[in-house]
Amino acid sequence: MSQPVTTNPFIIMMINMTIVFAVLIALGLVINLIHYVDPTRPDRQKQEAPAEPAPAPAPVAPEPVAEAVPENGLTPEVVAVIAAALASYGYGPGAIHAIRPVERNGWKASGRMPGASQNL
Amino acid sequence: MEFVNAFSVSLQAVWNDSGFSAFTMGNGIMIAVGLILLYLAFVKEFEPLLLGPIAFGCILANFPNTGFLEEMGLMKAINFGIQYEIFPPLIFLGIGAMTDFGPLLARPSTLLLGAAAQIGVFIALVGAMLLGFTVQQAGAIGIIGGADGPTAIYLSVQMAPELLGAIAVAAYSYMSLVPLIQPPVMQLLTSQKEREVQMEQLRPVTKFERCMFPIVSVILISLLLPPIASLLGMLMLGNLFRESGVTDRLSDTAQNSLCNIVTIFLATGTGMTMTAESFLVPQTLMIIGLGLVAFIFGTAGGVLFGKIMCRATGWKVNPLIGSAGVSAVPMAARVSQVVGMRAKPGNYLLMHAMGPNVAGVIGTAVAAGTMLAMLK
Repeated sequence: MSQPVTTNPFIIMMINMTIVFAVLIALGLVINLIHYVDPTRPDRQKQEAPAEPAPAPAPVAPEPVAEAVPENGLTPEVVAVIAAALASYGYGPGAIHAIRPVERNGWKASGRMPGASQNL
Repeated sequence: MEFVNAFSVSLQAVWNDSGFSAFTMGNGIMIAVGLILLYLAFVKEFEPLLLGPIAFGCILANFPNTGFLEEMGLMKAINFGIQYEIFPPLIFLGIGAMTDFGPLLARPSTLLLGAAAQIGVFIALVGAMLLGFTVQQAGAIGIIGGADGPTAIYLSVQMAPELLGAIAVAAYSYMSLVPLIQPPVMQLLTSQKEREVQMEQLRPVTKFERCMFPIVSVILISLLLPPIASLLGMLMLGNLFRESGVTDRLSDTAQNSLCNIVTIFLATGTGMTMTAESFLVPQTLMIIGLGLVAFIFGTAGGVLFGKIMCRATGWKVNPLIGSAGVSAVPMAARVSQVVGMRAKPGNYLLMHAMGPNVAGVIGTAVAAGTMLAMLK
C-alpha cells in the first residue's frame, strides 16, 4: 500500500466530493450530447419527414387482372374489394398478377366435413 | 489392555481433531451472532438473499479445525473470488442487466442528487479518522454510506481487508433498514409544501440513447478512474446486454442465473470472513455506528440538494427524490415514493426517484475509485 496523498480528513472529503460532482456533471453533459446527436430523436424525425404524406395509391379497377373473370367465380366487385384492400397496404396495381380462388379438393373437403361437424 | 489403550488413544485423537477441543467463547458468540442474523434474514426478511448466506458463512467460519482457508477446496476458492475482487464486478454485471437508466437519461440533472448523497460516505470517513482508524480503514468504512454492497466489499478488500466482515454486515443490514432510517430524516428536512410537489412526466428515451450511454460513460469513467474500470465496465456491459435488444439470452443469464450464483458465493464468502478474532473487537461496534451516520448524512445530503433543485427549477423537483441518491436500488426509490404518497395521495415519485437512485450507484463507484486513487 503506497502513502496516501493526504491524511487530513476534511481535505480528503473536499477533494473527493469535488471529483464526484465533476464526474457526474461530465456524465450529465455526455447524456445531453447523446440526446443532441441522436438521429432517431422523435422531433428530428418529424422535421425530416415530408410535409405532406404521399397520396395512397387509389384502388385500381381490375383492368390488368386478366384472370378476374366471372367464370372463375370472381365478380368484378370481389376483384375491386381485394385490389382496394391490397392498395390500403401500399401495393400498387402492378403488384397484383392474378386473383384466383383457392383450389378446392373435393376429397379434402369431404374429409374436413365430419371433423368440423364433430367440433360443433 | 492393549485394546483399552488403543481405544483411549483413538478417542483422544478424535477429540483433539474435533472442533470442541479448540472451541472458544469467541466462536460461541460469533455462532450466536450468525444465528441472530439468520433470524433477521429468514424470519424478519431483512435482505434475506444476502444476509442469509452471510449469516451461514459466519457460522461456518467459527467452527475450529475446519482448515477452510488453509487447504484448497470450495471455501478457499470462494475466498479467492473475494480476495481477488472477482465477485463484486460479476454482481455489477447482473445489476447493470437489471437497471433501467431511462429515468436518468430523461432527466440528467438528477445525477447531481446522486453526487450530493455521497456526502454521507465522506462524513463517515471523517468520523472514522477522528475515532482513530487509519485513512484506508476510514475510506472503507465510509463507503457503507454508499448503500452499495458490492462496492463496499470491493473497496474493503483493497483498503482494509481485516474489516471486511464488519463492513459488509453493516452495509447490508442498513440497506435492509433503509425504509426505517430514511423517512424520519426526509420528514425532518422537508416541508409539507415541498413533499407535495408534483413532477412533470419524463420524456421518452430512445433506444439510441439507451445503447450509447453505457458505451460512452464506461469509456469516460474508466479513463478517468481506472481502479473502478472493472466495476463500471461490468455494470455497463450488463446494461448494454439489456438495452441492445439482440442479447436477450445474455441479459437473462446476467440478471438471473449468474447473479444468483455469484450472490451465493459472495455472501457466503463474506460471512466466512467473520471469524471471532476479526469481528469481536471494539472497532466492529464503531463501524456499525459509523455506518448509521453515513446513511443518515447521505439521505440528508440528497434531500437538501433536492431542496436546492426544487427552488432552482421553480418547484418542479420534489426534494424527496434526493434521498434515493444513496443507491440501495430500488429500495431507496420506493421510500421516496411512499413518503411522497403519504404527503399527497396520487403523487407518484417512483420513476423520478429512479434517476438519482441509479446515479447513486455510479456516484458510489466514482467515490470508491477516487478513494482508491488517493488513499490506497
